[in-house]
Amino acid sequence: MTAKAKTKEKRIGLFVCHCGVNIASVVDVEKVARVLKDYPGVTFSADYVYMCSDPGQQMIIDTIKEKHLDGIIVAACSPTLHEKTFQEAARLAGLNPYQIEIANIREQDSWVHTDKEKATKKAVKIVKSHVAKARLNENLEPIKVDVTRRALVIGGGVSGLQAALDIADHGYEVIVVEKNPSIGGKMIQLSETFPTLDCSQCILTPKMVEVSRHPRIKLLTYHEVDAISGFVGNFKVRIKKKPRYVDETLCNLCGECEKVCPQIAPDEFNEGLSFRKAIYMPFPQAIPGTYTLDAEHCLGLNPVRCGKCKDVCDKKAIDYDMKETIVEEEVGAVVVATGYDLYTMQALGEYGGEKYDDVVNGLEFERILSASGPTGGEVRRPSDGKVPKSIVFVQCSGSRDTEKHLPYCSKICCMYTAKHAMMYRHKVPDGQATVFYIDVRTGGKSFDEFYMRTVEEDKVLYIRGKVSKVFKEGDKLIVWGVDTLTGKKVEIEADMVVLAMAMVKADGVQDLLKKLKIATDIHGFLAEAHPKLRPVESLNAGFYLAGCAHGPKDIPETVAQASAAAAKVGGLFAQKELIHEPTTVPVNDELCSGCAICVTMCPYTARSMDPDRGVVAVNEILCEGCGACAAACPSGAAQQRNTTDDQIFSMLRAMLRE
Amino acid sequence: MKLHYYPGCTLKEKTPGLDISTREAMKRLDIELVEPEGWTCCGAEYPLTAEKISGLAAPIRVLRQVRDEGGDVIVTTCSFCYSVLKRSNKALQDDPLKRKRINAFLRDDIKIDPLTKERTTHFEDYNGEVQVLHLLEYLRDRVGFPRIRERLKRDLGNLPIAAYYGCRLLRPKDEMDFDEPDSPHLFEEFLEAVGCAAVDYPFKQECCGSYLVVSLPDAATEASYRVLRSAKMNGAEAITVTCPLCFYNLDHRQETIKATYLDFPGLPVVFFTQLLAWALGVDRSVLGLGEHRVPADGVFSGTPATEVRT
Repeated sequence: MTAKAKTKEKRIGLFVCHCGVNIASVVDVEKVARVLKDYPGVTFSADYVYMCSDPGQQMIIDTIKEKHLDGIIVAACSPTLHEKTFQEAARLAGLNPYQIEIANIREQDSWVHTDKEKATKKAVKIVKSHVAKARLNENLEPIKVDVTRRALVIGGGVSGLQAALDIADHGYEVIVVEKNPSIGGKMIQLSETFPTLDCSQCILTPKMVEVSRHPRIKLLTYHEVDAISGFVGNFKVRIKKKPRYVDETLCNLCGECEKVCPQIAPDEFNEGLSFRKAIYMPFPQAIPGTYTLDAEHCLGLNPVRCGKCKDVCDKKAIDYDMKETIVEEEVGAVVVATGYDLYTMQALGEYGGEKYDDVVNGLEFERILSASGPTGGEVRRPSDGKVPKSIVFVQCSGSRDTEKHLPYCSKICCMYTAKHAMMYRHKVPDGQATVFYIDVRTGGKSFDEFYMRTVEEDKVLYIRGKVSKVFKEGDKLIVWGVDTLTGKKVEIEADMVVLAMAMVKADGVQDLLKKLKIATDIHGFLAEAHPKLRPVESLNAGFYLAGCAHGPKDIPETVAQASAAAAKVGGLFAQKELIHEPTTVPVNDELCSGCAICVTMCPYTARSMDPDRGVVAVNEILCEGCGACAAACPSGAAQQRNTTDDQIFSMLRAMLRE
Repeated sequence: MKLHYYPGCTLKEKTPGLDISTREAMKRLDIELVEPEGWTCCGAEYPLTAEKISGLAAPIRVLRQVRDEGGDVIVTTCSFCYSVLKRSNKALQDDPLKRKRINAFLRDDIKIDPLTKERTTHFEDYNGEVQVLHLLEYLRDRVGFPRIRERLKRDLGNLPIAAYYGCRLLRPKDEMDFDEPDSPHLFEEFLEAVGCAAVDYPFKQECCGSYLVVSLPDAATEASYRVLRSAKMNGAEAITVTCPLCFYNLDHRQETIKATYLDFPGLPVVFFTQLLAWALGVDRSVLGLGEHRVPADGVFSGTPATEVRT
């Protein structure tokens, strides 16, 4: 390679960007351009205030043509920002886009240093190293790949359903996978929704029905994603079908099985506030409309032991011999809408959530308020069914506590607590509602008006301060807190306490995310590709985010994000073919010893042993060009295109030589 | 066997009877409690209040002495001493700078042997080698509650007793690492091991008023009253403590509490080692019952000592 470079010296153009003052205030950009004018290989050198601007790009295009350049260095910001811009400029000038090198003198230099002289020296070194690399860059052609125009949506809550409907309405097929027996997610459990107080079920069930009837949507409830392989546009998904023990096509919902079932279990739909049978329908509007037999609570799926439900089923829908099966599907994009859970009350032992029945979390209180809930919509406390005459609501239970719990704001609690307190006052007009808060955050359309109504019309008492302890005395709960506006200790006798528990990542979702290989933030919420400009995409191409799996948000925001994710999927599917970066890592058969170390290193399963030839084979479509194999290869057979060992070493030499 | 024991000044000077009950109880478990030579006050709260190094001198000297006498564990029955010794020890283990500075300071100590008049001037650096345990922890982890059950000589007949942790044993959790601050159970397990029934009540971790008894006695009276009332309301026939200051606030000041809160009928306060000693068959004459202002004779009556198997 080196020999080849020597025989035909490249004509390299260097363009140093000021980035306004972002670079120029710390790096002497003119000096960088001047010093490197005569550096070996550099034919042309200039600086300009904004290389990414139209005139800046035009300058590159014109210079390539004029000076017959065949290699370009743009010393500017990180390649994640403008590499594509300059590659496109090169293409317009008739130069292979992979001859563009970006020397990052902003994030890695001007932004992190203050000493102008040293920073300039560093910029020169950075540029020199890229000149060394550019001299060895080769022309590459992007790899073109077909797209499977079919999407997978993981999660059947409001975000998943909205995304599925939108993608299907774009004209593409969608598969929705939901781990629970019915779609509906958390939203179907809510009573009324702020700030308009529409009944949550009334607004969600039409969407659920639409999903179940849509000709392009395939609904897989009681299924879980088991494995996924492939890459954007071409995923293969293994989906586990959990045995329902009831044939949903035969079940006619007569309910005879439920009547005779002798086993009870906590009702998940009512957050454990009531009981259901081991064979059950989660809630009346459940979709699909079928009974499900919960093997964990069933006497044992053995007709000899019980078998009562099977005996009474006229339709012969119950089959104890159902086994877990695997479904395989091919899709081109995945929307991850796995939802959230609430922070466990056990973590806040001082509030007694685990000890006292009448200390409940926000979702449990939703069930107590709901007409379909365990009390039929009457506010009654769980311990003895009495109507509570005083309820204390504790906001930020676990949220915004950097010392012991979660540092972030769960965003929806201010509003739903206001709603809880308002609904309680409507249902129990002589009841006292007291809310402890840190701040009341009502940023949203018509949100503050709703909160003010709670305070002014419904006379809910808001106390700014935290609760320190909740304990029982007789049949009362005593709430100790502090009013930080008056600086006084507060003690309230309450009949019930509602904790606005923080929102956390869905329980058990980390295993799934590991399979999908998509990144999360430190709290386990899905990480977006860019917090401002790519908020609904994962960095792992082909994966899109929707709903609370990505972070706490309310229903309108969840729906908007789901639609945005669907639009992104639509954009992907509208392309004729996808372009895959050619900066992959092929194998030099003559050097490969067949040790297969690279096969184990590859996180994308792009490499495999070819047993016939005794060397490693590479699927370049799967290869993401991370370079892990190239670093691990002991014989130098794995060389990444345009980042070969030769290039890396010549970069080091260029940088380290004074 | 011998075990290093730090009684602390309150227990030793103000309520010696409780100290004796501790020693007697431990003898029944074949353990002789030995005080480190020349021990001083741990400094009560002061070593931990300021970011100053010198306050650590007192507790660290005690721990260094234990090490120099060949001990690797010291037990105490006072929650305050436990908190101070344990946290000072941890500060030294965790912070190399504190370790260096306190050792530089203590290196100049001079010790004169009372008999030979020999002067010791060289001290090895102390680096947190000694483990500080509350006697309750020691009983659970080193002796074991099953072994205590085997040695029981009296049947306490599931007497309902409220375990009072107070504030010092449990917090701060990371440093004390004694039990779950919000739902502790070690003391209850101890009560069950000696044959009592543990009463659950919500004030077991609330402060008794502590030193406020000096500066704001009314506040201390209220704090102690709430603890006692809650224990009584939940059916306790006595409340048991692990700290002589709690004992003082709850027992010695009960007359004031009763005079202030007329609804409160009174509740005997016992030291946990008194219960242990009594259950292990120690005679009531050495239980230190004279220390009580609220008569606790009712707790220590009933059947004479016999072999009890549980």
